[in-house]
Amino acid sequence: MTGIDAIRLSPEDNVATVLRAVAAGETVRVRCGEAVTELAAAQDIPLCHKISLAPIPARAAVTKYGQKIGESLVPIQAGQHVHIHNMRSARARITA
Amino acid sequence: MTPDVGTVAGGGEFLGYRRADGQVGVRNHLLVLSTGGLTGQTARRIAATLAGAVVVALPHSAGLIGRDEKVHRAAIVSLATHPNVGAALLVGDNPVIMAQAAAAIERSGRPFVGITLDECGHDALTLTDRGIRAGARLAREISAQRRTPAPAADLGLGLECGRSDPSSGLVANPLLGLMADWIVDAGGWAVIGETLEWLGAEDLLACRARSGDAAEAIRQAVLKREQVAVAAGVDLTGSNPSPTNIASGLSSIEEKSLGNIAKSGHRPIEGLLEYGEKPATPGLWTMDASAYAPKSLTGFVLGGAQVLLFTTGVGNSYVSALSPTIKLSANPKTVAALHQQLDFDASPAFLGHRSLEHTGEDLRRCILAVASGEATWGEILKEGDEVLSRFGPAL
Repeated sequence: MTGIDAIRLSPEDNVATVLRAVAAGETVRVRCGEAVTELAAAQDIPLCHKISLAPIPARAAVTKYGQKIGESLVPIQAGQHVHIHNMRSARARITA
Repeated sequence: MTPDVGTVAGGGEFLGYRRADGQVGVRNHLLVLSTGGLTGQTARRIAATLAGAVVVALPHSAGLIGRDEKVHRAAIVSLATHPNVGAALLVGDNPVIMAQAAAAIERSGRPFVGITLDECGHDALTLTDRGIRAGARLAREISAQRRTPAPAADLGLGLECGRSDPSSGLVANPLLGLMADWIVDAGGWAVIGETLEWLGAEDLLACRARSGDAAEAIRQAVLKREQVAVAAGVDLTGSNPSPTNIASGLSSIEEKSLGNIAKSGHRPIEGLLEYGEKPATPGLWTMDASAYAPKSLTGFVLGGAQVLLFTTGVGNSYVSALSPTIKLSANPKTVAALHQQLDFDASPAFLGHRSLEHTGEDLRRCILAVASGEATWGEILKEGDEVLSRFGPAL
């Protein structure tokens, strides 16, 4: 994974995992299989946390491993940090 | 003698202890087992005196009912006849439980002695004295046993992850998936547990089930855990993923689960085992069990797994008492920080310096070396314990 900063596990994913801590404004090289794309980090993102690869509307699926890992709570812009402040699990809901 | 570590195609071999019942151990422990809470300190006192003794103290006994009673009684026998146990010294307070266990252990051909407080005038010091003398004789007897070559097919691997971070799901757990594929192809078996951490990934597991019944059992086991969480009013975010998981970058149980099940590799799933149940055939198995590592690992040990592979993101020092637990991480920061905890460094695969396949070959050699006697950090530092799950109310 040398020379890349983040990994997108499946082409369907709208988030990638950063392989090093990334600072706001930095260019992030994202690998997906053999393909490498670039985008700018809109925020600081800690090691192993997720970066949004595309705009995600509110209450839309957040996708990693080609699978839904939860739903966005608010609109998320490309390059933003995706975590519990702007997404949540869609399972084991106590209230609908 | 240097064992053949094999290739991905060939299974390889290790040097193990062949038991009278046909199982092969990777250790030759003298197990000092307290069957209940009244004799725990006596067991610890006895084990502290005897070289090479491993102590397991079950905290509960009288008053257990239903499933808990069944699991407790079965656990005594499964621990005493575990392949890694050369001989067992049992101490306890209930002569009926001791007699039942003795009959079952005797059938395995494993050397053992059982002593209850009733036979010692209800005096813990008398039990200590008799236990030390009996344990010493057992230790001497098993010291005559020697390791002989055994194929990897004789191994069962328990696959665990704890204090995970996203590096677990990216590298360390997929690496365990390669080990699961290897041991299954070699004719051995592997098991994953932690049912709650299949939530959001259960369809991917169910699709690989050997039968429709097994697929349905996996889905139902997950649904049941989800219903328990909802009925208890527990918000999984903050409990699972835990605060530590969240700080390291995991945002939901689904994300954690998808990383977790990467440990299972790619082979068909034979079925769903109950907690502590032994697999009936080789292959890849699932066990319906707690996601809490101490209870999960003991479930694998009761199932007969001789080696445990345990990935961690940020670090987790817990290991089994009976089965050497190979601890590994792919997170470079964690690997740099935890020298006397991590037995295997998977960070070169995370950093892109070594392929996952080559790292898998390294890990396979490590497994066979540990199975042949090389000590893990957890063994050297005596971190090992066994914790039995509880399921319902007691009297």
